[in-house]
Amino acid sequence: MNKQDYILSINDLKTQFKIGKRVVKAVDGVTLNVRRGKTMGLVGESGCGKSVTAHSIMQLLPKAGSIKEGEIIFRPQNSEEFDIAKYRKTDKKLRNMRGRQISMIFQDPMSSLNPVYRIGDQIIESIIQHERISKKAAIKRTVDMLEMLSIPQADKRIMDYPHQFSGGMKQRVMIAMGLITNPELLIADEPTTALDVTIQAQILELMQQMQEQLGFTIIIITHNMGIVADMADDIAVMYMGKIMEFGAKEDIFLRPTHPYTRALLKSVPVLGNGGNDRLEPIRGTTPDPSDMPEGCSFMPRCDLATEKCKNAPPYEDVGNGHMVRCWYAKGGAANE
Amino acid sequence: MLKYFVSRILLLIPMLLVIGLVVFIGLELAPGDPITAMIPPDQLSSMTLEDIEAMRESLGLNDPMLVRYFRWLFNLIKGDMGYSVVTGTPIASIIQNLLPATIKLTFAALIISTIIGLLFGIVSAIKSNTFIDYISSVLGVIGISMPEFFIGILALLIFAIRLKWFPAQGRTDVGLNALQSLKYLVLPACSLGMVLAAALMRYTRNAMLDVLNKDYVKTARAKGLPEWKVYYKHVFRNSLMPISVLLLLRLPMLIGGSVVIEQVFGYAGVGSRLLAAINGSDYQLVLVIILLLSTVSLLASVLIDMFTALLDPRVRLGGDIGGAK
Repeated sequence: MNKQDYILSINDLKTQFKIGKRVVKAVDGVTLNVRRGKTMGLVGESGCGKSVTAHSIMQLLPKAGSIKEGEIIFRPQNSEEFDIAKYRKTDKKLRNMRGRQISMIFQDPMSSLNPVYRIGDQIIESIIQHERISKKAAIKRTVDMLEMLSIPQADKRIMDYPHQFSGGMKQRVMIAMGLITNPELLIADEPTTALDVTIQAQILELMQQMQEQLGFTIIIITHNMGIVADMADDIAVMYMGKIMEFGAKEDIFLRPTHPYTRALLKSVPVLGNGGNDRLEPIRGTTPDPSDMPEGCSFMPRCDLATEKCKNAPPYEDVGNGHMVRCWYAKGGAANE
Repeated sequence: MLKYFVSRILLLIPMLLVIGLVVFIGLELAPGDPITAMIPPDQLSSMTLEDIEAMRESLGLNDPMLVRYFRWLFNLIKGDMGYSVVTGTPIASIIQNLLPATIKLTFAALIISTIIGLLFGIVSAIKSNTFIDYISSVLGVIGISMPEFFIGILALLIFAIRLKWFPAQGRTDVGLNALQSLKYLVLPACSLGMVLAAALMRYTRNAMLDVLNKDYVKTARAKGLPEWKVYYKHVFRNSLMPISVLLLLRLPMLIGGSVVIEQVFGYAGVGSRLLAAINGSDYQLVLVIILLLSTVSLLASVLIDMFTALLDPRVRLGGDIGGAK
């Protein structure tokens, strides 16, 4: 595949947090390619570093966190590619990128909107920051965008404050805020976790509709295998700051190769899968990120672990860009 | 919003009536008989009990308490606050003479402490956990824990007696231009404002750090806003709500502090007069001044409500979380 087909290439990204004297390696060598115009699902359990990866792309890390190593190459359509990791958090280059080329929506729409400003003003703020545009035109665009996201009476609702919106409506506002500047990449950090199940489906469907119309790329971060099965083209499975397995959706769901991916899939119910399959929880708990085991980080919980696993396994292609980080990936025990 | 403000102001009336009643009962319970206070002892001894009783009747002292309360209240509104039992001067004229000076003092202290408190608070929030933050933290704790009179005496010793920059005692407006009379204000206002400034500084810092961790600040950064805009529009504006509450809530304390500071600097104001009245058992004057000070506290609390409503649409428009209208 051509380099230009990837909108984002992350190479060996390491993001660390310094908490007192402890150093937590939240992201520990992530390598990832995101295809332009597609949807990539980043899955993993809580604390695996998926959210930190997303925040690293935007360089929106909290004060204690910083990118230590690696590169995040962003290739916008109409301008030069650049390495996001090379710039400081407050650099003008990144400010111009945030909200214009890459937008991000967060987990909790309730707290993501500023309670003291009208929602119209909050969306317009984003347009005005990046474009020379009259207030009137900005309002018009905001109303149009909200209508596209099926918010009824959008022309009146822009005058309302966040507390006058329901959770699902607020998340629509967040999506509108993200898409209003026509970005090339939308990062959705668990966009439906804080919403009702019925609203979840609506929001995801809206995101897909918008993607079809506007043609942006989505990185969706979630711990919900159902959501990635529904939305994603490619899936990256993350564990303890590393990508364990990466591949097209079919590869991950039909030919899961890493023991962690298999365990993850066995632990979620699948509709219409017959009644006899028991759900299997993954045994053990995640290790302390500041005290990681040597070698493969999944070893303490893995059924296949042997002496060999005390050395770090390679990240290998097992065919068609299906990447796996396991000693037994190539025709080994994991493929039984 | 207007409806909200009007309802807040109307609510003031019953509250003032209750405070007035408490003060009135205090006056009732104060020792001493009005008649014996009114008439010199040598004349009093020549009067019969009937004469005194007739005088009571004509002065309305035998009416039921509630009737007397409303009469007192009505007179108060008209500006007749009664007489000081010690000096015999009308209380209204005492207050008229002294209140402007006290208002000037507290207002100056309020402005000084707001400027210093906000400025240092904002800087230590932005530069949190740096050297600047630590220094201002230490100064803040010292400022909060030192009593006003001590700061006052210290300021007196250093700036008035050692350095002779400002006059040590007194207040005068007679025959001086504005700048000269301002000199008398500087030390008392600064010493009075220091405690509030320190509290405000700590509070501003914490309120801002609190808001800084909110998701909507991340949203603002994700939009690509420059840092100053993030701080100004999203952090400062939102932390202003708790800060304004603290500021106005401390207003009565500022007035309480002025009682002490006025005494330290021999600054003729309501506060120092209150102390003199307490020492001289001038109950009438004490209670009227207390009524005055509690009215100011009440006004401050209404101001808090109004200010919060202005800043926060959730208060202004009613309703809380979720729920489309």
